[in-house]
Amino acid sequence: MENYILPPESLTNEAIAARLTASARNGIEDGSVKKKNLVYLELNGCSGNIISLLNGANPDFEYMMGSMVNLVYSNSLMAAEGEQAIDRLIKAMDEDYILAVEGAVALRDNGLYNIIGSWQGKPLTGLEAAKMLGEKASHILAVGACATHGGVSAARPNPSQSVGLQEVLPDKDMIKLPGCPVHPDWFLGTLAHILLYGDPETDNLGRPLMFYSTLIHDRCPRRPFFDRGIFAEKLGDKTCLFKLGCRGPVTRTDCPTRQWNGHVNWPIGDDTPCIGCAQFGFPDAMAPFISYDTTRVVKDE
Amino acid sequence: MSKRIVINPLTRISGFMEVEVIVDQHQVVDVKTKGNLFRGFEQMLVGRSPFDAVYFTQRICGICSAAHSMASSTALEDALNIEPSEQGRYLRDIIHCCEFLQNHIRHFYQYTVPDFVKIEGNTLLQADHNDFRLPQKVNRVISQHYFESLEISRLAHQMLAVLGGKAPHNHGVFIGGITTQATAEKIVHLDSILQKIAKFIDEKMIPDVFEISRYYPEYYRLGGGYGNLLTYGAFNHYKDIKTLYVDPLVYTDNGIQSFDETKIQEKIDYSWYKSSSSAYSPNDAIPEPDRKKEKAYSWVKAPRYNDLPFEVGPLARLILSGDYTNGISAMDRTIARALEAKKIAGIMKTLLDLLIPNTNVQKKYELPEEEASGRGLVDTTRGALGHWIKINDKKIAFYQIITPSTWDFSTRDEKGYLGTAEEALMGTPIQDPENPVEIGRILRSFDPCMSCATHVHRPGKEIKTIQVF
Repeated sequence: MENYILPPESLTNEAIAARLTASARNGIEDGSVKKKNLVYLELNGCSGNIISLLNGANPDFEYMMGSMVNLVYSNSLMAAEGEQAIDRLIKAMDEDYILAVEGAVALRDNGLYNIIGSWQGKPLTGLEAAKMLGEKASHILAVGACATHGGVSAARPNPSQSVGLQEVLPDKDMIKLPGCPVHPDWFLGTLAHILLYGDPETDNLGRPLMFYSTLIHDRCPRRPFFDRGIFAEKLGDKTCLFKLGCRGPVTRTDCPTRQWNGHVNWPIGDDTPCIGCAQFGFPDAMAPFISYDTTRVVKDE
Repeated sequence: MSKRIVINPLTRISGFMEVEVIVDQHQVVDVKTKGNLFRGFEQMLVGRSPFDAVYFTQRICGICSAAHSMASSTALEDALNIEPSEQGRYLRDIIHCCEFLQNHIRHFYQYTVPDFVKIEGNTLLQADHNDFRLPQKVNRVISQHYFESLEISRLAHQMLAVLGGKAPHNHGVFIGGITTQATAEKIVHLDSILQKIAKFIDEKMIPDVFEISRYYPEYYRLGGGYGNLLTYGAFNHYKDIKTLYVDPLVYTDNGIQSFDETKIQEKIDYSWYKSSSSAYSPNDAIPEPDRKKEKAYSWVKAPRYNDLPFEVGPLARLILSGDYTNGISAMDRTIARALEAKKIAGIMKTLLDLLIPNTNVQKKYELPEEEASGRGLVDTTRGALGHWIKINDKKIAFYQIITPSTWDFSTRDEKGYLGTAEEALMGTPIQDPENPVEIGRILRSFDPCMSCATHVHRPGKEIKTIQVF
């Protein structure tokens, strides 16, 4: 085979991620990749990331939870309840595990604004669970905007004093998957990489480059309209949405090409501005999400 | 002697809930349902652009994000005197139908089924109790459907994304209706997915729910509660086609009556909030969070209608619309969810057939110079959802939200009424105090969403630091 010249493999990030996931699946099936335990913690948030993960396909969630990893804890899905559920969480620490966390960590009143269970007769706060599980995990994934940087849970004035996971585990390396919610491919592709090769290559903010290395603006199908100065005046228009507040120019992720929900659509394809949900600082730094006033100002110039 | 049972967390719900019951002689004699997470959305919204409320409030809940965009859009329309066109309403309600379907299918299979069916092949889905009664063959079939349903609920979200851009947290629902246009291609795409989902509901979901009910018949007698029912109306008030489902109604001992929104109040007697007044109207709220409040036990407040607690959700709607007559219980709720899924699929088909392709319903909207206020009352998957907004100086000055789970999982109040779900648990026989499966089964029949139910509002002033000892 070494003497053959093969056709070039596609080098797009999407193609690399797809091959990666396929390799993980093959490795799992032939036994060369060992299943790891996965603890999925939901903290102070909307539980939207687990719902997004259920929307994953190729591989789907069933494959992930049954074949890629042993999913040992998930508040949304597990059959056990009460102290029996928390027992499973505590026992998970006796073995090697990957920790995935969605939702922010609420600091107010020593974490009492987010209690995730009872343990030994006392409330177990999200803050305690994050620290306890984070210390012993072999890999940590911060899943979704609230876990990566506080996100919506930390929106001004932040009544619950919510913060991203890194803030309560300052010395721990973690992979950050911002987005509201996380795209299932970003999570599953990252998990596949960990199983096959360990941590993926990340940028300076901890985001996997294979999903977060390109600006939305650079690959937007409406970019030609921007370049020619043709701008939408209202939602529903088919031209560039920049003047309605689009955050594509500052948001680094692969939405334009990956799209959502089986690749059927995405926010800009729905004739609305990107609101920068996958950008650090969302939502406050990305607000206002929709602004009609900019169009008027430009016209007046 | 009495025994105290605490379940924390109640898993397979959205968000975090704790339930504490006192059992005496194998019967529940006291109950407290507690919402255990708090973010403070109403306060976050103050000062933001009113247009941003639609996408921002979706983030309250990843399960019913479209519901919040529905209520937020209609509240804004009310405040800005915008009347969506009939096509705009159909289009928006189609997106809402998609979320109904995803929610009901996922709730039944991923959240309810593991209570009654031993799901084979995955340790996460192994329960610790042994009250499983289905014959092996039936158990295997429904166990398979648990996994099959993941694809179906995924398809429901895919449908949602066709017009909504993405799910959860769609971009399509907005004032005026939806943001994009429904091309003929999109309409056919939606219809083809809907057929697959409707087939699954008819052939698997509904038979499965009745199969389970055959082996757990006592749940027709458990979980009834007060029996007060409320709906803000669902798929109703269309100009040409009037009502496809149910109008705003309430049911009490006095029979069925029209809903009167001025009778809604919220109480915080036993909630972790402080205020100069313990009861107030939804557009007049003043409490701030107070985790130290002694007799309080939950972040969920206590909405009341005419001073009474009410149940909201699929069962309330089906009964009030006259489509379901069997009764009120945990099992009736679960059956109603499956039957409603079928009804919603039919409604969505009706709406799709009414669409005119390529209708553009968006405009360039402007905010008024003067003060404005509005409210959006929408029945959504879990029941009656209300958003109230006030706009001043072109910014949100006030926002209030009462969610379906606030109605169903409220605290008790000083008049002696328990919350709806609390009352539903009273008197429940507990066969095995070490594995009190009855409690979770009854509570999950209400489809709890604690992410939605915990809120606070106080405009302006800085939050005081509260010491914990």
